[in-house]
Amino acid sequence: MKIVRQRKSEAIIPTASMADIAFLLIIFFMVTTVHDVDRTSVNLPAAFTRIENDKGSAMVVLSKQSDGEIIYKFSDGKETSTPVRGPGDISLEASRLTFNDKTKQFVIKADYDIRYEKIDEIMDNLRKAGATNLLLLTHAKEE
Amino acid sequence: MRLQRKGQEPEIPTASMADIAFLLIIFFMVTAVFSATKGLELKLPSDDEQENRQVEEEEAVFIHVYGDYLLVDCKPMEVSDILPYLEPKLVRDAQKHVILYTDSEAPYARMIEVYDELAKSKGTDLDPSEWPFEVKNISIPTQSEVQNFIEIFGVNPFETHCDGQ
Repeated sequence: MKIVRQRKSEAIIPTASMADIAFLLIIFFMVTTVHDVDRTSVNLPAAFTRIENDKGSAMVVLSKQSDGEIIYKFSDGKETSTPVRGPGDISLEASRLTFNDKTKQFVIKADYDIRYEKIDEIMDNLRKAGATNLLLLTHAKEE
Repeated sequence: MRLQRKGQEPEIPTASMADIAFLLIIFFMVTAVFSATKGLELKLPSDDEQENRQVEEEEAVFIHVYGDYLLVDCKPMEVSDILPYLEPKLVRDAQKHVILYTDSEAPYARMIEVYDELAKSKGTDLDPSEWPFEVKNISIPTQSEVQNFIEIFGVNPFETHCDGQ
């Protein structure tokens, strides 16, 4: 009797396309990732009507610490935000930007429970620096 | 005759690519930050416009925010009542100024709440306004502007405005 030898082929998962998937993912994330100029954790006030900010807007950050102290930060929209001493420094930095671009947008990112006096001070200094275009950053208000 | 041995085809090992792909996905998921990029737009007056900014009292609606309270033309009001109150005035005169003055002690969120209510009359591309008017001229005077006014005219416009009412 003739014995038939069975040739067994090993079961494999096709992994050849995984390289394509990996590169596709890398390209997708590279394209969609936005460089964030400020990562300060802030509890923003809520609003219904919200408008997208301009690309490369300068940013003024007012963050309230647990002891009530206000930390001020400023970014020109290109570099990551850095701490500044107060509204006086912000005015100086802002006037450098408005000197080159009168329509430059300034975004105010501030904690919702900060006293309005502090925001008023910033708005006044920005106005004196020649800024006219302002955006008060908010998060979406739920119905 | 010499038999030729069958050689194995050369191939690039791709088995580890799945691990790389998932590693990348997890890395980007962990490091991705959802940052807020939307807010309320506000136009500050430039120095060139200073001469034209004086508004006659009767031509404007005064909104005074102090603490959790709100006065609209000296009448206590809820935020939701502002637009119904403004409707007949703004329908008659679309250019009517609305002056929003916030006390220094009031929380920032309260000012945003009132400003957002006024901005609702404009609506957005995604959410058009249901109101037949639009609050086009919103002025937000700063404390220093009020101080300048007091120095020139000798009175605080937001204190004298409600006298006798």
